[in-house]
Amino acid sequence: MKIFSNTSQQLLEQSLNAASLRQKTISQNIANVDTPNYKAKKTVFKHQLNRAIDDQRLTAYRTDSRHIPFGGTQSISPSVVVDRTKTMFNHNGNNVDIEHEMSEMAKNQIYYNAMIERLNGRFNSLKTVIGGGK
Amino acid sequence: MTIFHGFNTTASALTAQRLRMDVISSNMANVDTTRGRFVNGEWEPYRRKMVVVQPNENRFSSHLSKAMGRTDHPGNGVKVSRIVGDQTPFKLVYQPDHPDANDEGYVQLPNVDPLKEMVDMMSATRSYEANVTTLNATKNMLMKALEIGKG
Repeated sequence: MKIFSNTSQQLLEQSLNAASLRQKTISQNIANVDTPNYKAKKTVFKHQLNRAIDDQRLTAYRTDSRHIPFGGTQSISPSVVVDRTKTMFNHNGNNVDIEHEMSEMAKNQIYYNAMIERLNGRFNSLKTVIGGGK
Repeated sequence: MTIFHGFNTTASALTAQRLRMDVISSNMANVDTTRGRFVNGEWEPYRRKMVVVQPNENRFSSHLSKAMGRTDHPGNGVKVSRIVGDQTPFKLVYQPDHPDANDEGYVQLPNVDPLKEMVDMMSATRSYEANVTTLNATKNMLMKALEIGKG
């Protein structure tokens, strides 16, 4: 039984990193709300999180550093920033939808806080165990 | 990418929106200025100014992460690339007693449209407010992160 490097805790860490990156992306979009020809960016991480869970079931060894890592190892970048291109454009080529960005930000805040709560919950459980239930 | 990256992004936007507001103030203040610039021995009225903004991609970190093929770099906010003059013609008003009137009695007035400036001002205010909200949200996230393990 691994105390600090078990799957759920690593997933929590990765989701916190991703939520932090998403916050930066949303900041960038809102900062460029008036910039001509700016294309809104989006942080994608949920499906990669699912893939990471799937990968845990699979173990593989790399015999060469040039091989693509899969299974076992943690992916280095669990979230990616992509341009959002298939949305409506303003007259100046900017496609930042401020309502969408603000609601995404609200969602991201709640998500981030929930992850922190969960992480704290885990640490509290560990504390209880270490203290022998006292 | 540091922990304060989100702050820097939002701060650059706040600076840009503040500058937009300053330029709008300047336009509004000079709505009747007939002697804005001295060109070829003649006074030219004030020309309406506009702010040109662009994403701040010209930083080393942006180019480095692009060259390394990294896909997790959101960008470095926004910057004001330049302030340009509006090239629409000046307004001509018949005012023969004006000191800057020409031989036919017409005065050239600045090409500032107060209505347009008001709309721009509203836009700058709202963008500024949105960025302040973002700044507070980012701050709350970092403060929350400090609570990890305090239980």
